[in-house]
Amino acid sequence: MLILDSVSRSFGAGVHRRSVLDRVSVSIAAATETAIIGRSGCGKSTLLNLISGIDQPDAGRVIFDGVDLGALEEPQRTVFRRRRVGFVYQFFNLLPTLNVEENVRLVLSLDGVGSAEARRRSRALLERVGLGDRLHSPVDVLSGGEQQRVALARALVHDPALLLADEPTGNLDEVTAAQLAPLLRELARERGATVLLVTHDRQLAAGADRCLTLRDGQLL
Amino acid sequence: MGMLWTTSFRHLLRHPVQLLLALLGLALGVATIVAVDVATGSAARAFELSLAAVQGPATHELDGGPAGIDETWYVDLVRTLHVVRANPVVEGYVTTGEEALQLLGVDPLAAAAFAADGGAGSAGGALQGPATLLDSRGALAQWLSGAGWVVLTRDTAAQLGLRPGASFAIDAGGHALQGQLLGVLGDSSGALAAVMLADVSTAQQWLGLQGRLTRIDLRVPAGPAAAAELEQVRRGLPPGVTLNVAAQRARAGLDMTQAFNTNLRALSLLALLVGLFLVYGTMSFAIVQRRRSLGVLRALGATRGQLLRVILLEAMGLALVGGVLGLAAGVLIGRTLVGMVSQTINDLYYVVAVNSVTLPPGEPLLAIGAAVAVALLAAAAPALEAVNSTPQLTLRASVLEGRARRVAAVLLGVSVLLAAGCLLIVLSTQRSVLAGFGALMLAMLSVAAATPALLYACARGLARSPLSAAPPVRLALGGIAGSLSRTGVAVAALAMAVTAMIGISIMVDSFRESLRDWLSHTLQADIYVAAPGPGFARPERRLDAAVVADLERVPGIAGFSASRRAVVDSDRGPVLLDAMDDTATMRAGVDLTAAAPAVWNRFTAGEVLLAQPLAYRLDLAIGSSLRLTTAQGLRSFRVAGVFREYGNDRGSARISRREYRRLWQDDSVSTLALDVAPGTAVGAVVGRLYGAAAGRQALQVDTPAQVRAISLAIFERTFVITRVLNWLAAGVAAVGLLSALLAWQLGRTRELALLRVVGLTRAGAAVMIEAQTVFMGVVALLAALPAGVLTAILLVRVINRRAFGWQIDLHLHPAQVGGAIALALTAAVVAGLYPAWRTARASLVQDLREE
Repeated sequence: MLILDSVSRSFGAGVHRRSVLDRVSVSIAAATETAIIGRSGCGKSTLLNLISGIDQPDAGRVIFDGVDLGALEEPQRTVFRRRRVGFVYQFFNLLPTLNVEENVRLVLSLDGVGSAEARRRSRALLERVGLGDRLHSPVDVLSGGEQQRVALARALVHDPALLLADEPTGNLDEVTAAQLAPLLRELARERGATVLLVTHDRQLAAGADRCLTLRDGQLL
Repeated sequence: MGMLWTTSFRHLLRHPVQLLLALLGLALGVATIVAVDVATGSAARAFELSLAAVQGPATHELDGGPAGIDETWYVDLVRTLHVVRANPVVEGYVTTGEEALQLLGVDPLAAAAFAADGGAGSAGGALQGPATLLDSRGALAQWLSGAGWVVLTRDTAAQLGLRPGASFAIDAGGHALQGQLLGVLGDSSGALAAVMLADVSTAQQWLGLQGRLTRIDLRVPAGPAAAAELEQVRRGLPPGVTLNVAAQRARAGLDMTQAFNTNLRALSLLALLVGLFLVYGTMSFAIVQRRRSLGVLRALGATRGQLLRVILLEAMGLALVGGVLGLAAGVLIGRTLVGMVSQTINDLYYVVAVNSVTLPPGEPLLAIGAAVAVALLAAAAPALEAVNSTPQLTLRASVLEGRARRVAAVLLGVSVLLAAGCLLIVLSTQRSVLAGFGALMLAMLSVAAATPALLYACARGLARSPLSAAPPVRLALGGIAGSLSRTGVAVAALAMAVTAMIGISIMVDSFRESLRDWLSHTLQADIYVAAPGPGFARPERRLDAAVVADLERVPGIAGFSASRRAVVDSDRGPVLLDAMDDTATMRAGVDLTAAAPAVWNRFTAGEVLLAQPLAYRLDLAIGSSLRLTTAQGLRSFRVAGVFREYGNDRGSARISRREYRRLWQDDSVSTLALDVAPGTAVGAVVGRLYGAAAGRQALQVDTPAQVRAISLAIFERTFVITRVLNWLAAGVAAVGLLSALLAWQLGRTRELALLRVVGLTRAGAAVMIEAQTVFMGVVALLAALPAGVLTAILLVRVINRRAFGWQIDLHLHPAQVGGAIALALTAAVVAGLYPAWRTARASLVQDLREE
């Protein structure tokens, strides 16, 4: 269960201070998929940063499975993120210095999973996303759809309880986007992950269990 | 951590040019330090080895001053010694062909016993050597025959093309002599490379020291009996003979070059300081480049500590490779510098032959340690900044540059504080050379700290001015101001190096002008005559009394003034003493900067004048006293005046020659200053002087113009090494600028491609890049010009004053900044060449695809 309790966040100072989230409260059930839609700059990415512990709210609490992220020290939040959260970004954010398999294995490696086991799990998941023949390819030679599938494998290889997807199809063509969405849902469901999907794509949002709109700092 | 290492390592390999330039800069910085240490260390080691070879196991020495020690006293002394061992030494310098050699007169039997009993090992090779060759009665007879038999090392004999039995010409103080090579010695250490061994009586005869010994070495074993015997020697010393601890001579010799070495060390540190900026630039740029990746890693769960370790260990890896490369390059550069350093030491301090280049112990550790310290220091700030910021993946360049602008503003304040710190150090310390260098470093850092703000202000100001109406110009200037995080550091490093170059250039020029002025003032006579030979203040460099008498009578001479130069003992260490005939010409040549009333009357009465460096070094002022060891014992001399002198950095004392002859019982003449009668051609008189001494003594005859030329040649040689080190520091800065600007321009590939899409021509893009880099060179120059003048003032008024006691007049003229302008503009133009060429040739399609 993910709970946001009166979460506020603003940026800037003095007259330039701008409130992005204003006392946002919401409860999201475990193993469900929630889509959040809203206009550009409405604070969707800020919300994901707060939920993952990357950023801290000015006020309010973020609680996941009974753990108040605000009560955790920075190193504990890092471990939380490493073990319990998976990310998929609009612009993939793969590491150009690592190949396909290494990008996926990295998360397990950071968590101290043995090399052989990490390799086995990474390869298995890459087979599932259809990239079993591209294990050693540099990531910058892949197409957008392939890169996003690598990112998806990286986000799920450690079986996270929470999958945060920030415009996962925003940088893909219609056909590729249509192929990625069911794959994301299928893999998340298999792992029982709670999915939080930020998107502009109404069709993608329509497939979620619940759809929320972020407007004027409020989640409606 | 394994995967993190992989990303780090591959990132470096993906940017090979950047990596190579960073390594080159770091290696050059380290190489400069190592080179200076190798050069000065090798010279010091050669001096110590040579001293150990000729002193053997001596613990004490008896010194007789300029007149030496009566050898009959030595004979009496030896009779009283039972535990303490003594060894008589006659020492001087001769030349053979072009080679200057130390002539050492030894008693082979006494010397061998002296060395062997002391378990000297490799030390005392000069003492044991002859005995090993004189094992046959015939050889010993030859050695003692007085027929000029000598011993050389095998290498020296080979260098001179001599074989045992060969006769060869020797010059000792202008006297032509004939030597014969009795045998050769093996000398693996090279300590005896510049030594010629002869019998005591031969050396006495050649050096004009008949019946005298230069010194007597003593070996005093441990124990009360020896101590009592030493005390007995001390009580029985004749006037003018002093008992000193042997190690003091080595220390005094090495102390002489201390200020010279400190200056070289400071210059080499400057190169490393510039290298620090370079590594900072490289590391911060590498982190900026990877900012997005670092953000991803943090989002995926890499801890701050993990990333910090990776970045710092990456810097350390860079440092290790750079340090090892720098060490190797430093040894190579040191081999070149050692010639310059030993030449300067020979010109200014003492005669030393450096035949082997040695890496001082601990130098590899120092080099690698310096590289690691610099790299870690440089990487720490950007690394901490990167890992401590929130891992926002959407961080925009504008945010980063906004931060860079704020940092530049803060640095401007830091620059003011550094400048204030510099001023505070200068005003609150009086004599500390290290504090002077500390102030200099703060001044340099102050320039570096102010440069990013200056660059931003210049670029923004010009971009907004009507001069930049054309959009490409505005774009180019805006690009510089908008990339301050990368351009600022590079320009700061260049500004610092250019500042140093201007400062040193002004200092050297000012020094040269002051030297010229001083020479014009000092050289009042028309002709100067001296006995030729290596080293100065050597007792054997004396004109024969009969020759002096004949020279003074040469037709066309209207007046003359004789002087004697000697090193005498004082309670404050050895002092160079110039005994001058008290004539109007001599007085006119002394440029007094402080004087007691009726100074010349006092001088005539026996008070002394001190050169500025000596007065400063011994902290003596008008009215204070200097205690010198005369032939009649320790005497106090009141200081009547202080005069300007640039002849050497130790300074000298001047005394009336009449007083000197009375107190030191030395009538010798080192130099004769002659006034030519009006209407007489100087050239004609010079010819007559040679003629008057012909067949008796070779002369070194110089006109003031020649003395000036020789002095200026020595001056230029002295500063060659300064210039070399300065250019090395400049080289590091140029590499830094090249590295940073190259990385910056290559990072703008997509932006430049977009400009070309909207209509900028290939040539236009290339010109824009060149204009940007040249603009940065000009800004570095703008910062460096005033800072360079201030640095020169610090060097002239603080560093030189504190290190050497010199008072130098500041001379400024535009030509002094020529080298600095060339450096700044060349570095800037070169830095833009490759990106300009690449942009002009690049495929638009490919560049636009690259993210």
